[in-house]
Amino acid sequence: MTSKLERLMNLTAALLATARPLTADELRGRVEGYPDADTSFRRAFERDKDDLRRMGIPITMCEVPHSDPPAQGYAVNRAEYGGNDPHLAPDELAALHVAANLVHIGDRPEGALWKIGGVVDNAPDARDAVNTQPLVALPTDPNLAPLFHAATELRVAQFRYRDLDRAVEPLRLSFNRGHWYLTAFDRTRAEERLYRVDRIDGSVQLGPPRAFARRPASGAIPQLPSWELGDSTAIRTLLLVDPDQAAFAAHQLGPETMVERHDDGGMVFALSVRNVAALRSFVLTFLDHAEVLEPPSMRAVMTDWLSAIVKGCA
Amino acid sequence: MTTRLTAPDRLARLLAVVPYVAGRGAVPIDEIAARFSYPRADLVADLTDVVQYVGVAPFTPDSMIEVTVDDEHVWIVYAKWFERPMRLDPSEALTLLAAGRTLLASTGDEDDSPLFRGLAKLAAALGASNGVPVDIVLGAAEERSLAVVRAAVLEHRCVLLDYYSYGRDQRSERVIEPHRCFSDDGQWYVGGWCRLAQADRVFRVDRIHTVNLLDEHFAAPAIGGTAIVDPSAAEARATLDLAPEAQWVVAQYPHETVQLQSDGWTRVTLAVTARAWLERLLVRLGPYVRVIELSPELGDTSSEDTAQRILARYQASRPRELAGPEPHKGPTA
Repeated sequence: MTSKLERLMNLTAALLATARPLTADELRGRVEGYPDADTSFRRAFERDKDDLRRMGIPITMCEVPHSDPPAQGYAVNRAEYGGNDPHLAPDELAALHVAANLVHIGDRPEGALWKIGGVVDNAPDARDAVNTQPLVALPTDPNLAPLFHAATELRVAQFRYRDLDRAVEPLRLSFNRGHWYLTAFDRTRAEERLYRVDRIDGSVQLGPPRAFARRPASGAIPQLPSWELGDSTAIRTLLLVDPDQAAFAAHQLGPETMVERHDDGGMVFALSVRNVAALRSFVLTFLDHAEVLEPPSMRAVMTDWLSAIVKGCA
Repeated sequence: MTTRLTAPDRLARLLAVVPYVAGRGAVPIDEIAARFSYPRADLVADLTDVVQYVGVAPFTPDSMIEVTVDDEHVWIVYAKWFERPMRLDPSEALTLLAAGRTLLASTGDEDDSPLFRGLAKLAAALGASNGVPVDIVLGAAEERSLAVVRAAVLEHRCVLLDYYSYGRDQRSERVIEPHRCFSDDGQWYVGGWCRLAQADRVFRVDRIHTVNLLDEHFAAPAIGGTAIVDPSAAEARATLDLAPEAQWVVAQYPHETVQLQSDGWTRVTLAVTARAWLERLLVRLGPYVRVIELSPELGDTSSEDTAQRILARYQASRPRELAGPEPHKGPTA
């Protein structure tokens, strides 16, 4: 009596070893342990296939060449199945394990660690109590993994974003202040652009691998606040923030945007505004502790909004 | 551990164990059991009863895997089809790389740390020869504040915080016993016992003006002592009608009830942690919100009064360009 484990492993070996796709009947003859009756064999074979696919084994199905009548065959592409062993030293594996424990992104990656040499723990030390508490939880998105796949294998990604269909060359994924961004070269517009991953409509479609040259994304890691994510021309806006909130504002806006520091501790920030409503909303979170200094048009955006509220035009 | 591993659970482990052991000579059974969370008895049974018999039809000896097991060690010399471990799928690869980059970003580890080296090797194995195509910026917290707070958590030392409370719109000094430092949704937080409030509190690191490490130690808290602020614990409530344009409020803030009105607006009751928080919300929403009812501690908070207060500031000043030339005080672009 052959165990299910042995049958699954032999099936995997047969699919990896074959040079051409094998039909279900051929596999039945090569792999021990399937039931004799046709219907129970079918059922067991389908279940096994599902089990292997769930584990991530890339089983392809295609027509067997020169078969008449046409028959479906199965195989596993060895290049697609096997990964490169990164040859991680125990301390490197242990460090990755700690990282995976501290940083939660979607599913726990235990199976992923097995594939690169298993789970290694360094000797416990005084910091262990701290090192076992999750430190960071990053949000995840169904399109993240495909975009990452595209960036590593140089595949063109197609998706809908702001009501336009895009075909882009993904270069980098960045997580910044709560959101994932994709830096990619937009083929239609012939320039590098930034996309917020959670604003992509629907799912991403990937093209074949090695479709473009590998290159680093230009520019720094994106630091795009909401008022810079717009399509209108940028307006340089000066914002004064009072002393108590100034340090907080500097953190939020980035120290490089600070253009003046007053003796009382107040600070002036220069912002590039492409989305006026987003800026208004941000400035209002300071209540009466901040003020748009220039240009007058942007001051008017603030005062018009506030006057309308005062007049009670609901 | 009493849960039995299923056949696919065991196969997933074996597909990693076989390539790991093959070519490494004698590998201790205990090491394999620990690395691949494989109960020792199951591991030995599967190696001797299953893996030895795996091969490809017609099962000639040269197609079989050669496994030797003694009391302490395993040898696998001919792994054949299973010489390489399975490839990481994109989401696994992303998870590991992003977790590693995140930890690097938050600890500022030097370039020769095991984590840094491990990530570089992993990226290379994935074919990303230019390095990891993932960048992580966790939050805008000032590095020094974060470093002091993390040290305080590790050493169980009190800190003196000069903190701007966003909810109350006030700045104050307080001594806290920091229990935990963590990041959520792009922001860093420190949680602990606040001696000023005499309660567990969570503070955003980017709102810390200054932080000073004190010599005083505190007794280590029980693990998991600090909970993230529970906004529903706030007593004040505000019932608002929201226009369709203000629907994001429902998605973003904890609320108690939501009721769709016949005019397309939504009536929602929110927990309010502080009056300034409500003022901010009202003035940002402007014409898209109507206040229906406020609990007494919120007084007569209204959009109109708040807007008038802010507007007064603009009326008292002039735009720069009309106020005449200003001396340059700082570096300008």
